[in-house]
Amino acid sequence: MPHPLLTVEDVAKAYDGFQAISNLNFYLFAGELRTVIGPNGAGKSTFFDLLTGRAKPDRGRLEFGTDPAASHDLTRLSEHEISRLGIGRKFQTPSVYADHSVWENLLLSLRGPRGVFAALFQRTGPADRARIDDLLEMVRLGDKRHWRAGLLSHGEKQWLELGMLLAQEPKVLLIDEPAAGMTDEETHRTGELLLSLAGRHSLIVIEHDMTFVKQIAQQGQVTVLHQGSVLCEGRFEEVQSDPKVREVYLGRGKHDRR
Amino acid sequence: MNTPARQVPRLETILLLALGVALVVVLPLLHAAGLLSSFTLGVWGKYLCYAMLALSVDLLWGHTGLLSLGQALFFTLGGYLHGMYLMRMIGELGQYRKPIPDFLVFLGWERLPAFWEPFASFPFAVAMVFLIPGLVAFGFGYLAFRSRVKGVYFSILTQALTYAASIMFFRNNLLLGGNNGFTDFKFILGHRLDDPTTTRALYLASAVALFLAVAFCRWLRGTKFGLVQHAIRDGENRVLFSGYAAVHFKLFVFVVAALIAAVGGALYTPQVGIINPGEMQPEKSLEAVVWVALGGRGTLLGPVLGAVSVNALKSWATRAYPDLWLILLGGIFVLAVLFLPGGLVSLPARLRALFSRRPPS
Amino acid sequence: MKAFLLLPCLLALLFATPGRAAATENPRALIARAATEAQPAQARQLLAAAVGRADESVAPLLDAWRRDALFLHAQADGGRVAVLLTGEKDERGAQSALRAADGQPLQDEAGRPVRLVAADLPAAEHDASLRRTMKAILDLAELAAVDPTRRARSVRNLGLAQDAEKLPVLLARESVESAPEVRRALREAIALLRLKDPREEIRVAALQELQAVSSLATSDLLARVVQEEAAAGNRLALEAARRAQQAVEWHRTKVDFAGTLFRGLSLGSILLVAALGLAITFGLMRVINMAHGELIAVGAYTTYLTQAVFGTGMTLPCFGLSVPIPGLQFSGAAREAYFIAALPASFLAAATVGLLLERGIIRFLYRRPLESLLATWGVSLVLQQAFRLIFGANNVQVSSPSYLSGNWLVGDVILGWNRVFVIGFALLIVLGMGLVLTRTSLGLLIRASMQNRTMAACLGVRTERVNALTFALGSGLAGLAGAFLSQIGNVGPSLGQGYIIDSFMVVVVGGVGSLGGTILSAFGIGGIDQVLQQYLPLVAPGLAWVPGIGGFLQNLAQDAAVFGKILVLAGIILFLQWRPAGLFAPRSRSLDE
Repeated sequence: MPHPLLTVEDVAKAYDGFQAISNLNFYLFAGELRTVIGPNGAGKSTFFDLLTGRAKPDRGRLEFGTDPAASHDLTRLSEHEISRLGIGRKFQTPSVYADHSVWENLLLSLRGPRGVFAALFQRTGPADRARIDDLLEMVRLGDKRHWRAGLLSHGEKQWLELGMLLAQEPKVLLIDEPAAGMTDEETHRTGELLLSLAGRHSLIVIEHDMTFVKQIAQQGQVTVLHQGSVLCEGRFEEVQSDPKVREVYLGRGKHDRR
Repeated sequence: MNTPARQVPRLETILLLALGVALVVVLPLLHAAGLLSSFTLGVWGKYLCYAMLALSVDLLWGHTGLLSLGQALFFTLGGYLHGMYLMRMIGELGQYRKPIPDFLVFLGWERLPAFWEPFASFPFAVAMVFLIPGLVAFGFGYLAFRSRVKGVYFSILTQALTYAASIMFFRNNLLLGGNNGFTDFKFILGHRLDDPTTTRALYLASAVALFLAVAFCRWLRGTKFGLVQHAIRDGENRVLFSGYAAVHFKLFVFVVAALIAAVGGALYTPQVGIINPGEMQPEKSLEAVVWVALGGRGTLLGPVLGAVSVNALKSWATRAYPDLWLILLGGIFVLAVLFLPGGLVSLPARLRALFSRRPPS
Repeated sequence: MKAFLLLPCLLALLFATPGRAAATENPRALIARAATEAQPAQARQLLAAAVGRADESVAPLLDAWRRDALFLHAQADGGRVAVLLTGEKDERGAQSALRAADGQPLQDEAGRPVRLVAADLPAAEHDASLRRTMKAILDLAELAAVDPTRRARSVRNLGLAQDAEKLPVLLARESVESAPEVRRALREAIALLRLKDPREEIRVAALQELQAVSSLATSDLLARVVQEEAAAGNRLALEAARRAQQAVEWHRTKVDFAGTLFRGLSLGSILLVAALGLAITFGLMRVINMAHGELIAVGAYTTYLTQAVFGTGMTLPCFGLSVPIPGLQFSGAAREAYFIAALPASFLAAATVGLLLERGIIRFLYRRPLESLLATWGVSLVLQQAFRLIFGANNVQVSSPSYLSGNWLVGDVILGWNRVFVIGFALLIVLGMGLVLTRTSLGLLIRASMQNRTMAACLGVRTERVNALTFALGSGLAGLAGAFLSQIGNVGPSLGQGYIIDSFMVVVVGGVGSLGGTILSAFGIGGIDQVLQQYLPLVAPGLAWVPGIGGFLQNLAQDAAVFGKILVLAGIILFLQWRPAGLFAPRSRSLDE
């Protein structure tokens, strides 16, 4: 068995007395597409916050890298360092640079040196332009490249943020509710995009929309979070039929299946 | 440049160039021809130094979202450091006819304190004008940005910084002239300061420095750095997740802004003939913010326009209505914030929009 | 000096012989008895018993005796009584007679007042030695003063003069003294006098006594004693002197520290009072009100106006016009009560200005905090200039009512009344605010609106109104602070500027939105500031080692007030490294906050 790319062991995090994450153990292997579901307050977003350095765990191990000898301790790195390691994140509420154009949003996200002096002296070459054009096409915003991002619709912002994430060419993509605000057709297309990324990239997708989960979790594993720790893990069908999961979802009256 | 939508408006560029030519070429020529008095040219020189201070405020506030209420500190530091050189150049022509500055004689010093020694060298003083404000900005900025002090907290802290510095500079013990600061300068680089040619040279230096600073800011805006800068202004946390260390970017801008202000201050001292701690009191920095707010923040022309117009207004009003000046200034400020958030430079667009009944985009 | 040469033997006599009773007798009666005494030695003995016990009220009596105006009247029973003659002379030249012993009219057997002719009566005798004793009585009259503070002061002065001959007087005083303060002074003074004793063991005992008393006043003297004993080579006395000296220094350290603590507490209270309004407007509403300082000044000027109205009124140089303000012409206690009236007046005045500010400007800027900062700064400029134009550019005089002036001495620590008052008042305001926020419906609405304006609005809270009221409340508190600060510092147009930065620091360090944090940080900053001011000059010489700028730092550290302030600000910046959001910070999970 290969070493996991992401190792999360015995992690706990509390906010002002509220235990958001407790005893969380989670492993992600290279090339995997993992779907994470769970009721509201299960700690899904906090989980991402911990992985991206936005929050620091109270205890536990968060490591990145398939080589145990050269893995990175994520608890000691800040947001931008983690991002530079190749862990990219798409937020639940789309967060793009509202005052920048679509094109600039992508330019800013493009993989490359991130230092102050690089930003001062680096020119935008033809290769970069070509790459941005590709991305624009992929997220179907080619004709809106000069629009201020703030003027885009909710769904378009979601796409743009996905595009920005891809522009970073991360090893791991953390994607928080990508389908929110999208039409069914767009949702389906998002699913296909994510599936096409799996293999080359590793993905963790948080989602509520069960149709969408079913679509993307065809081969991959599904992890159910509940009260800050893993309730169960397995293939979509297994998870779906697990009485504990039904209990958690149905028992709280939050049946989220569409 | 092929980064659409981040282009500097062409009109602004034209205006800037025209202004540059007027300030760098026309005014000095008028003076040389005897059509403009040395006094007036000196006053304009002062305005241009203030414009550099305004530019430094705008670089931080308008472009990076960091409202510094302590920029006058760097301006004054620059002024003091250059002032130290000018004080040394007085030589033995002071009131006491001693080889050390008058205020030191007054404090009972016989010899020059050690840290005053090297300031007899102009290159050293110039180096210090860059080095010391730069170091102060770096040290403070590093601590402030590292602990993610932002928004109004940053403003309050910078204000506290300049406040602390001002109470320190007011003390005689600092050996920098206390309340009175430095004055009675006589020579710069061997030229008499009251000579019209010197006045013109100093004015020209200020105009060129301002022009270069504006050009630098304009260049910065076209780079990726400019994009990151604006991104930090609009959503700092998001920038981190794109992999940019916002701390480094902010620190760089903060130091650059401090240097621009310091150069402004260094040119201000010989032209105005005095520098004292009053210049670094918190309200001075706030005044500079007024200039930017009134001129139009986030633009290049705005700060220059604001600094010159408010100071011209001040020169007139403090003579014509000395009692009402502060009320006028305060009033302008309130009205600008409430009714003209884009500043003077947004006025033409607003008027046009008003007449064409289209909302401004 | 010579007069006292006799005293020791006199007192020795006194304690050896029947005069024991004299020790308890009223000094005035004692003097009267002495005057009637035929034997000079007996008279001296009686008179000496009054030394150190008679207060200055016996001065006229002794004076009369010396001027031969104290007469001896032979009574029917053959006894003599000392009398003074007063009042108008009648046709025979007789005046009414008063008993010297108690100042009551002398009566005959029938109870009628006796009138006597001066020329008929023998005057009480006095010789040189009696006159010396009389002088001694007057010299030491302070020792018997009615006011214990005066007694204690005179005892201390006697002690520090170290005139060994006055020892018996002090001992005599000690035997009748009951006030603890004076007894302590007596112990100290007696020990000091005994230091002049040639016998080492007595001196050692005295030094031990001084060690126990640990009076600050003996510090210099002990240092001298240490030198003397060392020079004389008296090992035991030297040891005791050193110990006494250490005890006094330790006591001084404690007193200084307590004083520093008190000043820190009072500065903390001032900061707290000044910052409380901000804790509401900035902390709860997130409005950076740069005009907060001017609201404080509004309170201070209101206090000034109230004072004038309670007094004789005044004329304001308002915008170049002379506006007369009529006064109520109160005097005495009613006039001093102005401060009580000034408190609500300043609150209301500042709250009104605050309300106008909120309605006129701030409400448009709730979502633009930096811009509200700028606009309110504009307002602060306008207000400052308005003060100048209305009240003049100079500071105005606000006098402290008598119940706020004066000191309170606890141990050796001096506590100023106004400062004690400020501390008490700060606590009172905090308590009041806590109650308003947690126990009233307004408080509930305030807290709800400040946590989530939109949600509160959805639930039917009229947030516009709550905002206005909250801002007015915060402004009113600033006004109250102004009333207070008028008692402590100057009242002038730029009064507010002196407090604004400190106030913001207090709120930022405390954690925005946390009342408890504000309190803690106010006292913390106040305490640290005072400790630095007290101890920086001590540390200053130690700064010389810093390479390059040692002398410079040393120089600067001498300016404790300024340097201390700078260190506090530097400390705050460093503190924010550790706790970026202040002491008590609410955590947020949203991306941009």
